[in-house]
Amino acid sequence: MPLRRWLITLLLLLAPLSAQAFDLDDLQRQLAATPALAGSFEQQRELADLDSSLTSRGTFLFERGKRVVWQLETPVEERIELTPEAITNGSGESAPPGGEQVAQLFLQLLEGDWQALESRFTLALSGDQDAWQVALTPKEAALRERIAGITLQGDRTIDRLDMRTPNGDRLEVRLFDQHPLNGS
Amino acid sequence: MSRAGYRRLGWLWFAVLALCTIWLGWMLRHGLPADTDLTALLPADRQAPLIEQADRELGRGFENRFLLLLGDDERVTTTRALGQALQTLVDDCQLAAIDWRELDLADADPHDWMGQWRYRLLTPEWQETIDRGDAGTLVEPALRRLFSPTARPDPVADPFGLLDTWLARLPGSPIGAADGLLTLGRDGRQWSVLIGELEGSPYDQPMQNALHATLEQFQQQHPDAELLRSGLVFHAAAGARQAKHEMSTIGAASLLGVLLIIGFVFRSPRVLLQLMVPLLAGSLFALTLTLGFFGRLHLLTLAFGASLIGIAIDYVLHLQCDRAITGAGFRLRRLLPSLALGLISSVVAYVAQALTPMPGLRQMAAFAAFGLVGAWLTVVLWLPRFTLHASPFTARLATRWWRLCQPRWRLPPWLALIGAVVLVVICAVRLTSDDSLELLNPSPAALMQDEQRVQQLLDRDTGSRYFLVQAEDTQTLLARLDSLDTALDRAIADGLEIDFQSLADAVPTAAQQQANLARVRSLYGEPLDDLIRRAGLPAEVAEKARARLDTSAPLTVSDWLDTPLGQYQQRLWLGETPEGGVAAMVVVSGARDAETGRTLQAVAEAVGGPQARVEYVDRVDRIGALLGELRRHTALWVVLAMALMTLALVWRYRRRAWRVIVPPFGATLIVLAAFALGGVPLNIFNQLGLLLVLGIGLDAGIFNVEHARQPSAWLAITLSTLTSLLAFGMLAFSATPALHYLGLTCLIGLASVWVLVPWVRPVDPDRIHQQENEHG
Repeated sequence: MPLRRWLITLLLLLAPLSAQAFDLDDLQRQLAATPALAGSFEQQRELADLDSSLTSRGTFLFERGKRVVWQLETPVEERIELTPEAITNGSGESAPPGGEQVAQLFLQLLEGDWQALESRFTLALSGDQDAWQVALTPKEAALRERIAGITLQGDRTIDRLDMRTPNGDRLEVRLFDQHPLNGS
Repeated sequence: MSRAGYRRLGWLWFAVLALCTIWLGWMLRHGLPADTDLTALLPADRQAPLIEQADRELGRGFENRFLLLLGDDERVTTTRALGQALQTLVDDCQLAAIDWRELDLADADPHDWMGQWRYRLLTPEWQETIDRGDAGTLVEPALRRLFSPTARPDPVADPFGLLDTWLARLPGSPIGAADGLLTLGRDGRQWSVLIGELEGSPYDQPMQNALHATLEQFQQQHPDAELLRSGLVFHAAAGARQAKHEMSTIGAASLLGVLLIIGFVFRSPRVLLQLMVPLLAGSLFALTLTLGFFGRLHLLTLAFGASLIGIAIDYVLHLQCDRAITGAGFRLRRLLPSLALGLISSVVAYVAQALTPMPGLRQMAAFAAFGLVGAWLTVVLWLPRFTLHASPFTARLATRWWRLCQPRWRLPPWLALIGAVVLVVICAVRLTSDDSLELLNPSPAALMQDEQRVQQLLDRDTGSRYFLVQAEDTQTLLARLDSLDTALDRAIADGLEIDFQSLADAVPTAAQQQANLARVRSLYGEPLDDLIRRAGLPAEVAEKARARLDTSAPLTVSDWLDTPLGQYQQRLWLGETPEGGVAAMVVVSGARDAETGRTLQAVAEAVGGPQARVEYVDRVDRIGALLGELRRHTALWVVLAMALMTLALVWRYRRRAWRVIVPPFGATLIVLAAFALGGVPLNIFNQLGLLLVLGIGLDAGIFNVEHARQPSAWLAITLSTLTSLLAFGMLAFSATPALHYLGLTCLIGLASVWVLVPWVRPVDPDRIHQQENEHG
């Protein structure tokens, strides 16, 4: 009897541990299992001082560690390619000043590059491998003036990105119809 | 003169020096009023205060800031270590600030403070598009911008992204952010950038030492990290360290040498002290009178004037040698003619220089002449009254030395003449000159390389080439800057490989701004409605956007300079000039060659018009030209002085005059020929060294002829050339170019004087005395 009680106690103790065992490293491995994928997106930008929002749709192509191609289809056609080094767009217009930093952040988020993000954000993971959520809060005051918080949600892939600014603006990007690409 | 009269004169001289001390103390009560600008040496009508001001303005960033570039495989950790080490200097109040983290510069978001002016700022391309009536074509790019994931759209304040387009044209900083650090990416390599701001002067010694120690320690701990330094503070520190090092090696060696020689010959430490008294008295007299006459003193005057007073050591040594050897039989009267002639010939040379139109040379000449007179008076009036413990050794030494140095044959005049002609020909054929700025630059080569690489990596100009643009008021100035920019753009399109920074890029004239606002109004008509509809936004957004136009304010120069972006351009603005106008600079970077210089000069003339309101300034060339002018003027007046002296000597010595002038002139020719053969170019500094050689050589020549039979004269000549060699010739080993050239000249020149003297000594000196008696 004492042995059985002891085993139950052990199991009870271990149960929450096994539930918590899904951590950021696991998530990164899980995301890295798909090195390249393509799909559709819907981007919705809510501007605080406007009742309306800016909505756009299109398709995307993501190659881990290399690039993201953002193909806008409505309301305007545009191809934007983000790499760790540069932003290039189909119209050949130069990116606005400071755009590189936004692009770099965008890439790090889609990659789930927690190591890079941790230098500037506090990360909090919740949920399990089939429905997880990562909340990012800026560490430094200067960054908090521009970003209030970021949430990532997903399962095997990232499905939703939600970025809020202190003045009440919000950028929501939904990724759907995602399918892995073979080869590179 | 009676003995009592002589004593009275001695006391009178003491009173004069005491008065000088009081006067000098009063003049120095606020510190030494010293000039450092080279142009202060030029005549007043040739000085350009506005250019000086522009130079100072452009140099300021270099003076009170420094910049470090750090390249390493473990960049993040090493940068953190260095940043934190430098932060402790900020905490200790040695530095004002150190920026190295990404967020240290993050407050520079132009949207926060440029917004109110955006409707009056349009790029030339947009101006053209709207003027053509093609404003509709701007809708599509605006839509793309509104929906880009990386943009920060604001459909009410700026639906077309006017500000972003305008800002993209401004020269951005090459410094970006990566891994949370300020970063510069070039040629596939990432450098961390650390920007320091000084609390006080870059010449502050404790701060220099602390900064140096921190960086040294860092380099020892991280030997693989590559650290590039840029900033005046590093050059100043290197200069100070070098001066200290040379003081303890070259300085100590020459002092020890002089002590040993004087101690050996006179066997008395007192002689050494007596050697210093006339030099100090002469310097005091010279400093007081020069300051009294000129009101200010140039640092070059002080440095070279003080060296020239060194000639006075001749007077001391001749007097002391004679006293030591003749003992109680010493009579000042016997030495006085040669001493007086030595003084007069040197002073004549300086008085000739004092007549030049160059205030700098005048000052230097006055300083040297006053110094020599002061030292001479001290020697003549005071030294004979100081007791001298004459050692019999000195007399024995003089005689032995005299015998040892008897040449087998004498230099015949015709051979001297042929030699002189040969040397002159060599000089005429091979001698070159160099007036480059490097002569004034004492920084070690490694530091100069660091500096160049940093400038190159940062794509930054040193502010050494610029256009100085003047106008009656700000609007005219902006218009003139704008036409200069247009002309430069045209030249660049024609293949001129330069880049430039101008305020007119950032601040259009009021008229242009008004025209831009009118253009934006037409853009905000139908194109705006189109844009809002296609973006899927409600129509009232367009109304709200139009309402913003009515609150638009014009951008003034001072508005712009107060913004964080404009702060980087503050160096381009001179503001009000003494003539009541305004002035600004356009700084040029890129290709540097004679052809580019001519093109830029031509652009300045074309835009500036007949009144020359636009001047092209190349600081490096300008300073080189100034140094060259100083050098040519000195040379000209020295030659004139030499001619004058020769006349005076011919009048006194007749056919023997050549014996007096061979040591100084021969040494000068030998130095010049040596430079010609060795490929050493002539510059202002070795020319000033020649003045010293001439002075000492002339004294040697005079004593050699006047006291041809006296071993004491030869001993004095030997001692004076040897001690001067040790004091000035040793400077040839200095790493500071100016001192090196001065030293090299003295080394060759003084050695030549000493070698030449015995060969031209008169064979039968009695005839000289006969002549003297005839004249007397």
